[in-house]
Amino acid sequence: MTSLRAADIIFDTELYQTRILPVINASIMAVSKPRFFTTTKKGENYELRADLNSEYRDRRKDAIKKVIANMTVGKDVSGLFPDVLKNMQTDDLEQKKLVYLYLMNYAKTQPELVILAVNTFVKDTDDTNPLIRALAIRTMGCIRVEKIIDYLCEPLRKCLKDDNPYVRKTAAICVAKLYDLNPDLAIENGFVSILQDMVSDSNPMVVANAVTALAEIHEASSTKDIFVINTPTLTKLLVALNECTEWGRISILTALAEYKPVDYKEAEHAIERVIPQFQHANGSVVLSAIKVVMIYMRTIRNEELTKQLVRKLAPPLVTLLSSAPEVQYVALRNINIILQKRSDILQNEMRVFFCKYNDPPYVKMEKLEIMIKLANEKNVDQLLSELKEYASEVDVDFVRKSVRAIGQCAIKIDEASERCINVLLDLIDTKVNYVVQEAIVVIKDIFRKYPHKYEGIIPVLCQNLDALDEPEAKASLIWIIGEYAERIENADELIVSFLDTFRDENSQVELQLVTATVKLFLKKPQSTKNIVQRVLQYATTECDNPDIRDRAYIYWRLLSTDPQAAKAVVLSEKPPISVQSNNISGSLLEDLISNISTLASVYHKPPETFLGKGRFGADAVQRRAIEEQEEASRESPIQAQTKSNIENLLDLDFSDPSTLTTSPISTASGSSAPTANVDDLLDLFSGSNITTSPGQSSSTHQNNNLSNDLVSLF
Amino acid sequence: MGAYLSRILGRLWGEKEVRILILGLDGAGKTTILYRLQIGEVVTTIPTIGFNVETVTYRNIKFQVWDLGGQTSIRPYWRCYYANTDAVIYVVDSVDRDRLSTSREELHAMLEEDELRDSALLVFANKQDMVGAMSSAEVSDALGLGTLKNRQWSIFKTSAVKGDGLTEGLDWLVNIIQGSKQQQ
Repeated sequence: MTSLRAADIIFDTELYQTRILPVINASIMAVSKPRFFTTTKKGENYELRADLNSEYRDRRKDAIKKVIANMTVGKDVSGLFPDVLKNMQTDDLEQKKLVYLYLMNYAKTQPELVILAVNTFVKDTDDTNPLIRALAIRTMGCIRVEKIIDYLCEPLRKCLKDDNPYVRKTAAICVAKLYDLNPDLAIENGFVSILQDMVSDSNPMVVANAVTALAEIHEASSTKDIFVINTPTLTKLLVALNECTEWGRISILTALAEYKPVDYKEAEHAIERVIPQFQHANGSVVLSAIKVVMIYMRTIRNEELTKQLVRKLAPPLVTLLSSAPEVQYVALRNINIILQKRSDILQNEMRVFFCKYNDPPYVKMEKLEIMIKLANEKNVDQLLSELKEYASEVDVDFVRKSVRAIGQCAIKIDEASERCINVLLDLIDTKVNYVVQEAIVVIKDIFRKYPHKYEGIIPVLCQNLDALDEPEAKASLIWIIGEYAERIENADELIVSFLDTFRDENSQVELQLVTATVKLFLKKPQSTKNIVQRVLQYATTECDNPDIRDRAYIYWRLLSTDPQAAKAVVLSEKPPISVQSNNISGSLLEDLISNISTLASVYHKPPETFLGKGRFGADAVQRRAIEEQEEASRESPIQAQTKSNIENLLDLDFSDPSTLTTSPISTASGSSAPTANVDDLLDLFSGSNITTSPGQSSSTHQNNNLSNDLVSLF
Repeated sequence: MGAYLSRILGRLWGEKEVRILILGLDGAGKTTILYRLQIGEVVTTIPTIGFNVETVTYRNIKFQVWDLGGQTSIRPYWRCYYANTDAVIYVVDSVDRDRLSTSREELHAMLEEDELRDSALLVFANKQDMVGAMSSAEVSDALGLGTLKNRQWSIFKTSAVKGDGLTEGLDWLVNIIQGSKQQQ
């Protein structure tokens, strides 16, 4: 070949131009003509097929490697199935593994042909090499083709009784896979009962895998009697716990969490054996161990012991916070739950939760939540100086949340309220727009908790009137002005300054303006008659929002019929608010404690809300995703609408019950009207006989507007 | 040049293997014959769902011997294995007179295949150790071997359990394969 090339070069140019060039041109023309279906090349797969059937061993192996390479980059090589399968029986372990890999990937596409592999599987499960036996049984379990299930049973039975623990532990998982495909077959063949016996296996790894498989089967079973731990199995699991791998430990601990100790002695004993796991390097093991201890602690009556255990729970949680940010986040979400159950757990560890400058935002936010939960009289000074520091950072969301945290400290700890106010005033002094606005929102909450205590700062707040451009901050300041109208000399001027832009305001601000004006009028009737008239006039005639209109009507009627009654209603004593640091209700909290270290504990939602019911494999998820996408593309706008509605409903149902309890009327009257309508309802009823229970506290931010309105009516 | 190349490749890729298929109805004794040839012993077998493949060296020739399951359900997949086949060993249960016609149909259908145009056919009239076994002539007639055209074929009486007749059959095969090589 090379010699020919050399000859090419010595061509004389004339010959080249006259004879060869036209030929080349012609061939280029021929190529450039599109011929989509007729090609002389048979394609890569054709060549690979020839190589896979080669008479030479090495060439076959190279072809297999090429096929696997193509498979991994996403080319479809399923057409080579029988040819690859032919290379399955070999002494070469590497080649065998590659063919098995191929098989797992493409068995689904060629369910008919998979039967050709059965004999090799059966042979391999008889191999002298335990690695091959395990490989064969594992692959057989992974193939998930109905046709070969029947042939799986005999090899599986053999492997479950294998001398080698590695083979046994692999076979154990295989039973769970078989059960998933055909539960009756797995039970009839006695595999499930063999699995139950395997919990007493001498090898801890086998025990761990048997537990994993049984737990999975138990979950999928309708009878729920597959895997019930009793006292003897508990002992076995505790023994195996210390000796198996981290994943084994997680599955054993997860199984232990399902068990309810018969008495406090058993619980104490089990806790004692679980506690060493706190020192494990794997965060999941640590959290699982904490979960078990948290659950078993319910059984323990001894106060002293409980205290000791609580002390022991702190260090592992603190250690988790020095891991990667993602792990920290999971740890923080879990700590959030644990703290709601046992608030005394990390009492002295506040410093650990201080935000570092390089913490990712999601970690910082969670840390703030925890810090507020941990705040008490002793550490509040430290916390406040820390929060003040945060308020000067650049991340706006973080700054806002920090300012809110200061407010929550003030509401939570009476003694610290004055210090908090001072910090907030300092922050207002910075004149940073969003800090000022957030501070005003927070101060309004503090005013509601400590009425008539810090009125002295009102002038400072009013100075910042012009800086406010967010509805919530505006509404808050207007509320303050209305509430303390008698103390503010120029309250009427301030209110008037808002009126010019009344129609451009957010409805939240408008509502507050209507209420504040009425309060102002009740407190200073002589000078503000015009204002109130103007506001009510506008709100009833020109405003489109029914909430505002209706409220204005109610006020108007009240004022015109009986000003005294109006006073009693509008200026009534308001119930104090309190911080809801435990924002998860009791039963949900217990549920989440049982799900520590799972996704549920990160979402703070019970698993049923985000997991499908029954068998919900990867295939089903994929199928559903495709279906959803198709549907969405078909009727996108309507679909999107209804979907978001459904989500809203779900949120209402599951998120936190406190959103519902804040509106006593709506729950009492059995209607689950959307929160915006609650105003209406309240307005309608407000003249009559509503009494609020003082214990009825509203969570401070989400429902602020609502509860302000609500409260201002009484 | 092609021959030269393949010889070089042959050195590169290692020894060339001669590919042989053992076919026949289920229970004819294919797997027993395979292991009799490979390890010289009678092994207990179970119905082959799929295939067995072993390398057998006989008279300095490396055979890659494929034993394919003979059950009705997997017979259609025999065709997956036809490529590059040098010879087919067709095993017949000489006692099972009832299914000889089925065996004949399968044999002829197989030989129609283009990929097996050049492969030699060696028929084993197996299970000669059993009472009532048909002779090789009877089997040959029943299979209609006489009607085959353009095919090198031969039939041998064998007993896989006793080991009779197998080496004679293989000798014939070796001669044919070496002959065809020399022709090339």
